[in-house]
Amino acid sequence: MSTSTPRVDSMKPATPGPTRTAPPRPPDKFPSAGRYPAYLAFGACGAFLMISALVLIGAVWAVGNGEAAWNDYRELLSHPVFLVYHVAAFIGLTWFTLRLFRLFPATQPYRIGPLKRPADAVMVAGLYGLFFTVLAVGTLFLGGALL
Amino acid sequence: MSQETKTFVVTRFDPDKDEVPKTQSYEIPVEGDWKILDALNYIKDEVDPTLSHRWSCRMAVCGSCGMNVNGEPKLTCKDPVSNYGDTVEVAPLSNFPVVRDLVVELEGFMEKFKAVKPWIVVAKERAVEEGTTRQSPDELADFKQFSMCINCMLCYAACPVVSNEPDFIGPAALALGHRYNQDTRDEGAPERNEIFRDEGGVFSCSFANECSEVCPKKVNPAGAIQQAKLRNVLDWAASFVVKRGGKES
Repeated sequence: MSTSTPRVDSMKPATPGPTRTAPPRPPDKFPSAGRYPAYLAFGACGAFLMISALVLIGAVWAVGNGEAAWNDYRELLSHPVFLVYHVAAFIGLTWFTLRLFRLFPATQPYRIGPLKRPADAVMVAGLYGLFFTVLAVGTLFLGGALL
Repeated sequence: MSQETKTFVVTRFDPDKDEVPKTQSYEIPVEGDWKILDALNYIKDEVDPTLSHRWSCRMAVCGSCGMNVNGEPKLTCKDPVSNYGDTVEVAPLSNFPVVRDLVVELEGFMEKFKAVKPWIVVAKERAVEEGTTRQSPDELADFKQFSMCINCMLCYAACPVVSNEPDFIGPAALALGHRYNQDTRDEGAPERNEIFRDEGGVFSCSFANECSEVCPKKVNPAGAIQQAKLRNVLDWAASFVVKRGGKES
């Protein structure tokens, strides 16, 4: 006696064709929560780098165009908008540098040249120390204390 | 002694019925030493057998049970329930298509994985008479960290570049490619570096470092990618001085 019940193949999908999927969604906390805001702010600091580079190029251009151009350039820098920008850029780029240095050990291989990598804390302390030393010397120099 | 209860808000998606994923809440008793996976297995065994989730070894080795727990990619067999409050949200890994409930589609990842040639490439097979290949402990240490990957794909779920740039090869695959490039037995670095320098390669990485933050095995894929970037820049610069190796074009 034959049975009319069809054989069930458990490995076959219920419907033929590729499985329909729900589309991927971005990381749940992106962009406003978790560590993502810091990452985005870090990237946004690139704007400070670009604008500051343009300001420096402006300085070179002014130097090449005589005393009047240089005086105009200095006057432009003393404008309140520029002063606010420089304070913001100083804070932003200081934070950018410190975050970069904090992440730096993670990028280093087990061996650096012939030497084994130093401990992460040593690398970070060295970089922070160097940064603050350069910052202090630069501030003293620009403030006229070292001349 | 009264048993603690927690509410698990779990993403559900049935491709035969649902247009978009939805959530379903389960209030269940939990034991103090449970991991998130234990809670999901309890729901599946005792409350709702229709729940689908992927798991296998229960000891953070197989990499099957990666899910987003309260928005953070976690290996659920390693993630204690006690880390969370009264309500725990469990969702499938982000950046992946969802097959059903908490199960994601891995086809795309497997393609990217193969693209970096994650095996030892040699121009000529070593003869048995030549004996074993010797490698010093330091040479092993150069890549050992990157060979600890269990392909759990938490790094892909956390990476903001993967979600914005679908062609990005991604953290785990690039780290594994770099692992073979660092291996002294391997001769495939020129081939892999061509892939690394290409569209979607190492230079697509903007160093969010999320991959390394969420990695349950401390593989540090972000570090591997930054090292691969440096190596590729040096390789590119060296190509002006000496002829680059790899495939003849």
